[in-house]
Amino acid sequence: MRVPGTSRQTSRRLGLALPLAFLGLLALDGLLFRTPFYPSVLEMDSTAGGFELTLWREQQAQTLNGDNLVVTLGDSRFAYSPRLANELTAKTGYVFRHAGVAGTDVRAWYYMLRDLDPTARRYRAIVFGVRDYDDEDEYFTPDDDIRALHYVIARLRWSDVPGFALSFHSPSLKWEALRGAALKGIVYQADLLAFLAKPKERIRLARIEHRKYEQWTYGYEETPRSLEGLRIDWSAWKATFPPGLDQDQIDTVNRDLLREPAPQTGRLAAFRRAWYGRILDRYRGSPTKIIFVRLARAPIPRPDGLVRKKSATIREFASRPNVLLCDEHAFESLEHPELFRDALHLNRAGIARFSAMLAEDIGRMLGSAAR
Amino acid sequence: MLFNTTQFFIFLAVVLVLFYASPHRFRRYILLAASYFFYACWNYKFIALLLTLTAIDYTAALWLEKVAPGPRKKALLILSLSANLGFLGFFKYYNFLAANLALLLGKPPHSFFLDIVLPLGISFHTFQSMSYVVDVYRGQQKAVRSPIDYALFICFFPQLVAGPIVRAHTFFRDLFHWRPPSADDVSTGIFLLVLGLTKKMAFADQFAKVANRYFSDVAGNPGMATAWSGVFAFGVQIYFDFSGYTDMAIGMAKLLGFHFPVNFRRPYLASSITDFWRRWHISLSTWLRDYLYIPLGGNRHGQWMTYRNLAITMLLGGLWHGASWNFVIWGGYHGALLSLERLFRGGGRSWLYPLKAILTFALVLIGWVFFRAADLPQSLQILRQMFSRPGGHTLLQHWHVGLALVALVLAVGEEKFEWFERIMEAPAWAYATALAAMFFCLEVFGVIDANIPFIYFQF
Repeated sequence: MRVPGTSRQTSRRLGLALPLAFLGLLALDGLLFRTPFYPSVLEMDSTAGGFELTLWREQQAQTLNGDNLVVTLGDSRFAYSPRLANELTAKTGYVFRHAGVAGTDVRAWYYMLRDLDPTARRYRAIVFGVRDYDDEDEYFTPDDDIRALHYVIARLRWSDVPGFALSFHSPSLKWEALRGAALKGIVYQADLLAFLAKPKERIRLARIEHRKYEQWTYGYEETPRSLEGLRIDWSAWKATFPPGLDQDQIDTVNRDLLREPAPQTGRLAAFRRAWYGRILDRYRGSPTKIIFVRLARAPIPRPDGLVRKKSATIREFASRPNVLLCDEHAFESLEHPELFRDALHLNRAGIARFSAMLAEDIGRMLGSAAR
Repeated sequence: MLFNTTQFFIFLAVVLVLFYASPHRFRRYILLAASYFFYACWNYKFIALLLTLTAIDYTAALWLEKVAPGPRKKALLILSLSANLGFLGFFKYYNFLAANLALLLGKPPHSFFLDIVLPLGISFHTFQSMSYVVDVYRGQQKAVRSPIDYALFICFFPQLVAGPIVRAHTFFRDLFHWRPPSADDVSTGIFLLVLGLTKKMAFADQFAKVANRYFSDVAGNPGMATAWSGVFAFGVQIYFDFSGYTDMAIGMAKLLGFHFPVNFRRPYLASSITDFWRRWHISLSTWLRDYLYIPLGGNRHGQWMTYRNLAITMLLGGLWHGASWNFVIWGGYHGALLSLERLFRGGGRSWLYPLKAILTFALVLIGWVFFRAADLPQSLQILRQMFSRPGGHTLLQHWHVGLALVALVLAVGEEKFEWFERIMEAPAWAYATALAAMFFCLEVFGVIDANIPFIYFQF
């Protein structure tokens, strides 16, 4: 709409200036946040910083290892020790690397893999740890987990902006994702202000973190604490806790095991189809195998039949040529309170057992390491 | 619906489209409907109050024009002013008076309290309305015939809730002789809109976090440096908050073909408190001058009467801001400083200007303590901290200082070289660069999702 009464020359000036201003903004944003410097000095404990450091660590690992690499991706529940798994390399023939980041989901793993494996041929296998091969909707829906924006912010390109934003379910989050993916400074703001408060210190720490991160994480040992003694009476929907548990342990049991079943909306299935689908499409025709592993579900699994699951997206993927499904009962032997530190995560003993079992199972599924 | 929200910008876009897409004769109805909608978004119940005040003053002005000068005319004026002040007094000052009465009677402070919600912008629109009635009484303004036009004058959404207080002749000149905004107006309007948003979200709201941290726990933040940094943060916050709002209001008005007066002229560069009040909330200070200070006698009846008039004006000006003793003290403090300046008025030496400006800024900051503190004991506690022995730590980060320095440089540039005016008329690339810089500032410093309300919305 042309505002009446404006002279043509000054209107032209305005018409030129407004698009130029937006281009200028995008240029400034690009210069600061879409070049390698800023992602390299992110606060390590932030979502984006942890994600970037993991990506960087795995990119470095590619240069140090041969062509028998297996990379695993998952959230914090995919708790295993690559160090312990690699103690069996002589037997399995494979070197395991873990690119999983706590709190992430398959949407973030897609962006992680895209930059970790740009040719889609670097790994012998990509292993995804999932809770269930069937699709069970929970009250927390990953399609509306805005943390994804913060994890993958440094990985998003201009071309990703619309698709990424539209992958959220609710309109307000679509808008938040669109805004943040287009103008990364909005997402980085808290980190940037902290950086500006002590820039030299941040750069110094970032250098140390990059140097030491492999060492800190590869040798990481989980707590030996356990839930030994935990009992759940499913008929009364009540847990009996052993003495000595802390509040967090009790809370996770109440929140994650004794949760009421959520209405089955099909949103998880749609989310999995969309994002695993994109990953599988990238690896179509690639020698890399895609393997799904059903993780140990819980110290005491919830009874079957609490919900009627309407679909099984992961099982559907198994029909694709390079997709393999690990035996879904393979790790049920780990589902004991003494092997879990809380309702979701294995403890040190659980991780030790799981690491060995995982390495052996994956090795068996992939066969000889020679291509 | 705050100015710094996505909803508001959608609302503004819709209003602009409807306004310019409609035939000329419908435009004032669109603005009126949009203004009432804007007000109703906050609390639709107070629309009735707004309509009542509008009806009273509209009718009073028509009568005042008909009645010959004399006691009847005066009585009519008093009636109208009493209605305005009555509503303002009830909603804004009832509980304050009730608490003080209870104190006098030795009862608990809440003994006579009523559960009163302060209508948004009541201090602004009643002052605007009163000035109109007084102008008609004085014969300086013709009474408006159309109730639609008058209602729009009172509730025009860009300045409804926090000013600037627009005089009737300014508003009706634009309304009755409405011309489409020139391209310069549009370019200035957009610039001011973005500038105001940047001032609010990137500057005011960032400093608000520091100020809120300090004022919410004064005892937990001891030390001189801590106190000064907390008060400094509030000083920066309140300026950018209010002048940001005003810039947005002026910018929006320009896009709609209205021209509001300037409300701030870099007040923190003032060389004296007198100068400060010529630069700060100009529409209020000129209102107080024209409708209070001068009618009281101004400076025409000798030195001591002038001081008395200054003191009364500033005390009432302080009380206008809020119903608490702190605001009265704040007003009195400024009144006293103005009187002292008159007493020791001397020739200015230009090389002393930086020192004078710093001293004035420090005095204004001390005044802000009363303005922001929860009550008198907290104000005194803060002042004790500010003037205690050096200690504590600054609450400001390096980047806060950086932002403040950038603001200072821009203010000096504007003061000396009119940078902003030049940019608004500059070639497209320069204008675009300035806009891009402000957008970028909003991106990296803007407090986006907190929606911190404008300070002056509470008045």
